[in-house]
Amino acid sequence: MADPANTPLGKMLLEEITPVVMVLCTPLVEQSCLKNGISLVQMLSPFCDFTNIDVPVRTSSDQPYRLHKFKLRLFYSTDVRQPNLEVAKERLKQVITQAGEKNFLESSEPSQVNDFLSRPESEILPSWFQFFNKELVRTLSFSDHEAFDHPVACLLVVSTKDDEPINRFVDLFNTNKLPSLLNDGAMDPKILKHYLLVHDNQDGPLDKATKLFAEMRNAFGQNDCQIICINSSPDGQFHHQNNPWALFKPDALPTENLGGFLNLDDLNEIKDCLQELSSKRIIPYMEQKIRVLNQQVSATRKGFRNQIKNLWWRKGKEDIVDTPNGPVYTFSSIESQIRILGDYAFMLGDYELALSNYRLISTDYKIDKAWMRYAGVQEMMGLTYFMLDQSRKEAEYCMENAFNTYLKLGSAGRRNATRCGLWWVEMLKTRDQIKEAATVYFRICGEDTLHSAVLLEQASFCYLLSKPPMLHKYGFHLVLSGDHYKKCDQIKHAIRTYRSAIPVYEGTTWSRIKDHVHFHIGQWYALLGMYDVAVSHMLEVLASTHQSKTTQELFLRDFLQIVQKTGRTFEVVKLQLPVINISSLKVIFEDHRTNASAEAASVRESVWRSLEEEIIPSLSTTRSNWLDLQSKLIPRKYKESNICVAGEAIKVDIEFKNPLQIPISVSSVSLMCELSANPEEDANSSSIEIQKNESKTSTSIGDINLSLILSEVDFSLEGGETTLVQLTVTPRIEGILNIVGVKWKLSSSVVGLCNFESNPVNRRVVKGRRKAKHSPSNDLKFLVIKSTPRLEGFIHSLPKKTYAGDLRPLVLELSNPSKFPVKNLKMKISNPRFLYAGNQRELNADFPACLKKMNVEKSGGHTNGKKMSQSVFHFPEDISLQEETSLSWPLWFHAAVPGNIHLFITIYYETEGVSNIMKYRTLRMHYNLLVLPSLDVSFELSARPSRSQEFLLRMDVVNKTSSECFQVHQLSSVGQQWEISLLQPVDSILPSQSLFAGQSLSCFFKLKDRRMSSTSEDSTPLSLIQSDVRLGPQDSSEAPFDVSSSPLADFHNCERSSQGLSSQWYEYKADFIFITQLPKGNIDSGAPNTPLVFSHHACDCSLSSMSPVSWVVDGPRTFQHNFSAPLCEVNLKMTITNTSDSVASVHINTFDSPSSNSQPMDDATASEPPENQAGWSAIPVVSDTKIITNDALAAQSSKPLSLGSVPQFIWSGSSSTKLTLQPRLTSEIPLQICVFAPGVYDLSNYVLNWNLTPVDNKVNQGEVYKSSGSCQGYPYNLTVLEST
Amino acid sequence: MTSTACFIIVSRNDIPIYEAEVGSAAKREDAAQLHQFILHAALDIVQDLAWTTSAMFLKAIDRFNDLVVSVYVTAGHILYIYRTDLHMLECSIFVTYDICFVIHTRFMLLHDSRNEDGIKSFFQEVHELYIKILLNPLYLPGSRITSSHFDTKVRALARKYL
Repeated sequence: MADPANTPLGKMLLEEITPVVMVLCTPLVEQSCLKNGISLVQMLSPFCDFTNIDVPVRTSSDQPYRLHKFKLRLFYSTDVRQPNLEVAKERLKQVITQAGEKNFLESSEPSQVNDFLSRPESEILPSWFQFFNKELVRTLSFSDHEAFDHPVACLLVVSTKDDEPINRFVDLFNTNKLPSLLNDGAMDPKILKHYLLVHDNQDGPLDKATKLFAEMRNAFGQNDCQIICINSSPDGQFHHQNNPWALFKPDALPTENLGGFLNLDDLNEIKDCLQELSSKRIIPYMEQKIRVLNQQVSATRKGFRNQIKNLWWRKGKEDIVDTPNGPVYTFSSIESQIRILGDYAFMLGDYELALSNYRLISTDYKIDKAWMRYAGVQEMMGLTYFMLDQSRKEAEYCMENAFNTYLKLGSAGRRNATRCGLWWVEMLKTRDQIKEAATVYFRICGEDTLHSAVLLEQASFCYLLSKPPMLHKYGFHLVLSGDHYKKCDQIKHAIRTYRSAIPVYEGTTWSRIKDHVHFHIGQWYALLGMYDVAVSHMLEVLASTHQSKTTQELFLRDFLQIVQKTGRTFEVVKLQLPVINISSLKVIFEDHRTNASAEAASVRESVWRSLEEEIIPSLSTTRSNWLDLQSKLIPRKYKESNICVAGEAIKVDIEFKNPLQIPISVSSVSLMCELSANPEEDANSSSIEIQKNESKTSTSIGDINLSLILSEVDFSLEGGETTLVQLTVTPRIEGILNIVGVKWKLSSSVVGLCNFESNPVNRRVVKGRRKAKHSPSNDLKFLVIKSTPRLEGFIHSLPKKTYAGDLRPLVLELSNPSKFPVKNLKMKISNPRFLYAGNQRELNADFPACLKKMNVEKSGGHTNGKKMSQSVFHFPEDISLQEETSLSWPLWFHAAVPGNIHLFITIYYETEGVSNIMKYRTLRMHYNLLVLPSLDVSFELSARPSRSQEFLLRMDVVNKTSSECFQVHQLSSVGQQWEISLLQPVDSILPSQSLFAGQSLSCFFKLKDRRMSSTSEDSTPLSLIQSDVRLGPQDSSEAPFDVSSSPLADFHNCERSSQGLSSQWYEYKADFIFITQLPKGNIDSGAPNTPLVFSHHACDCSLSSMSPVSWVVDGPRTFQHNFSAPLCEVNLKMTITNTSDSVASVHINTFDSPSSNSQPMDDATASEPPENQAGWSAIPVVSDTKIITNDALAAQSSKPLSLGSVPQFIWSGSSSTKLTLQPRLTSEIPLQICVFAPGVYDLSNYVLNWNLTPVDNKVNQGEVYKSSGSCQGYPYNLTVLEST
Repeated sequence: MTSTACFIIVSRNDIPIYEAEVGSAAKREDAAQLHQFILHAALDIVQDLAWTTSAMFLKAIDRFNDLVVSVYVTAGHILYIYRTDLHMLECSIFVTYDICFVIHTRFMLLHDSRNEDGIKSFFQEVHELYIKILLNPLYLPGSRITSSHFDTKVRALARKYL
């Protein structure tokens, strides 16, 4: 380690612990000095520091050593007392405040800690710390228990102008004026005196002075007197290089010429005088004193005997009164003597001697419980150890001991502790124990907040400078220090420290710390009136979600207050309140695709695209067409941008979230857009005019008052609430529109801006053409084209909720608000089962009367089947929508199936001569409705074995609603084929003719094939044939509903096609429409007073495995026979009819034994689950109507066979008959059985195998009929009786 | 008797992943931030101490006035294993490098009681809980612990031991 004397602490000690010379002077002396702008002490002080001397010193030992550095401290006698605490504090405060001002102005942006560390240490540490520390130490000077501040000598100065200078010398040393130290016995009043005569050269020549000096020397002794001349420079313009007084009078103005009257001769004289004083007077005096004292101490205290005596003696003194500061020692007491000895030795650099004496005295003080003195001695011991550069541990131990002892004394020792701590800190710093130094700094912090603040800041720098740097601690102590500064209103210091701490906490997730720092910096800047900076810091804490509600309120309130004080609205780019969910950004715009409602816009593009596929002109050709056009019109870079139409709003959906727990109010939310003229069009004009919507006044293009219309939204968000806001922008002129971002006003004082582009988050642009090469920025860029017509469409009184089967007319209204006509309208509806376009003349038809059968000809009974198959509805050519007109068109609605139904309607139209870019547009409508189940209708068709062309129809109806009461109206079969009639009158089944909620109804009908009957019976003319059965009141004259005309027939066709059936119907398959009415429209309906009509459609009710051949076995039912004869023969006749249009070859197999029955049974029967044989049949469900096939019938018929319980009989005729039947022909086959015993016989054990040979011109029918099959025989019971 | 106790788990990069005020003293706003400050400042000392001892429980390492910081350092968790395959063109050898990052997770407790045994047990049990959290495949090491179950358990342990 370097020489302790060269360390900072060493230098400090050599400067601070030096002999004090008390100066007493006459006012005239002072007056002379003040001519130079300095006092006497100030004038002399620069020359009291002797750094280049070489004085031999001999203290206790015989060996002299040489002293190289020596310093005297000069003080006026009035200053030789303990400084006034208040004054000292005030001075320190000034120092700090000044430093604060200075540093605050210099302080730059907080840099990175690492940058900071790379700078040299001297730059990091603020220089005023040193000064502060020195001042702090000095507040403790001239305490009575420490001898090094006691004046060693007294300098008496008298001017030559004074009257009777000799007497003045005597008067000066008047005990009344002497400091208390000398008077109250703390130190020896017999002090070395030195007499100095000052002569002011301006007052006259030196002669008088010399004479006086001679007198002095006679009076006070040769060596004790000196004379100096000052103010030799007559004009006072003498300039000193490196003005020696500048340091001692820091508050002097720079213009002031200190020492202007002192020329070099004067200076040299002063220098010599002081050197003489120190080397010839003071040092020898001190040497002498040390030697004397040392002898005394050795005599009384050194040596074994003395020690024992001392111990004994001390013990005996225990009963002395304990004053708070321990016993009072006068200067003459041996303890004081030892202390003086130690201090003198220290000042003269004889540290060994000093140490031994300090040791000696410290035990004494300890025993005496003179704690203050003890601590002081310990402190000195520590310093001595340090100066000796010996045992570090000892030194530290002593310092710590002293420090703790001071602290134990409470407030009295507090400041001493501070001083001791500062020395200790320096000691540790010298030894590179910077970390420990920091802890000591921390321990020094006492009751004085301001001092603590400075000390804490010094501590923080210690942490920063320690190796490796302890940045966490650095930050913490800076914050602590700042906190203390704030308490003392040193706001600039507070801000400075907090700002220094910011880099430490940058990027950390220790949220509370960050909030604390930023919030307070913001607050303090606001106190200083620097609102801009304050706001920038407050912004950091605004969105602190983790804080409690009250804190959030506080933050927000303070922030708003500060903003208010600035008196202007702030535009903040990254305002975190509220939080904008960029990923929720959704842009809805309309190019050639327009939406009738918001719901339509939210539907996926692919749904529309598939719907529009057929109606819009082929995409590729159109695209290339208008792209070609476009490329001529607009530069390439805008080719990719979206197209929108002037005057039509672009909607932007965006989500705002309040991250706080407190409500916030957001107002004036609007989009930020830029509308620039199309560069291509602007080519002739020199500049591109860009209009920012912020500057709404600068609307230069054209005379339109506003080129952009922006919507503004106000809302308030509760804590944690999220809201979706729709913003719109409507360009009014052509050009390039760019949506830049969104801005809003928080609590109507701060404007937040959010730039969409700066956030590289994927946005969902709902209707943008999603091309891979699209850059996201293009999604927000629009090419605004000239205003084109835009149709608006609406369907009147479409119910939101209805019951299945509901049938009603609706009106579609299209209106064209623009000035240009549109034409070539086309419409497509996604679900023709529910909705299709009617005929224009149906528009004003009376419903439901228009559905009824007219009494006139059936000419009205046409269907729209052709139209529906195309699925695109073309409006008549001659219809075009002129300007500001509207068009109403009827639609038919039928709630086909229950459920949540989406209806998509798209209407295509063309405009002409308006825009080259956009030739057509589509209007998209979307409706969503809820269809509730109403009636559950199922039909069961069974053949009547006895009559080959008649069927039994069973209809089961269940009212599934909870409250509605349906009026049964009619059941119709579709087409001309079937004749339907009731088996029993309706009154007997359903007297009320209405189905109440939950009620079920079963009805039986007879179904007759009209073709067959017409051929066989030939009775009724075609017109009278009833294909409808009225189930309602029989007596009413109401006409039944016409199922063969639109819309019922059309909807029926749709039902069929939706079930995958073609629109043709065939024999043995029947379609039914069941119509009910709801007397009053009490569901959600537009016209509540008209009755609602419900139609339920059932398609393809058939005996699915019905064969094309039907047969009837005919013969006797009861037969009597005398069984005495060997066998009984019964003749039967089978009539077989070919009902198909093909040639059928029929093969009849009879078999006798039941065991062999299983073989020819068809697969459907064999695979039938066993429970079917127990007589129960599962009803297969086909869509919403139940059709009972005759599978079950076949199963039933096979039952007796498999049971094998039948008595034996044999078929006796030909066991196998084959015949060929021409289409629609009947033939008879004789059959015969032999019976051996009386009994009841079931003659069903035969199988008909049939095979169709299709006729050439009816190939397609093969799809409907199976080409071959087999049928089980019908049960035919024959009772054979024994004849008597 | 009211006691102050602030428990915090600090992950790599000195990121706190779990914070809880578990003391019985009435909650004060500025107390919470003071606790954060003290604990944050103590990280420096943990850094120094953690490498000087093999013990996990570092005992009281720092103090601020009457508040003491006790720290428990978990064994290094292998957080990430990067497997890098280098194909050396000249000699066609596949060399596989496994790069492991071993970091400590630090449990820090700020307290004013002097119950060292209790604190040690507390830390040990919390460590077990923490390991369970780490075993959760859905938990990304180093991310914030949001499990309410963990939170209740920690608070229960605090009531038991502190």
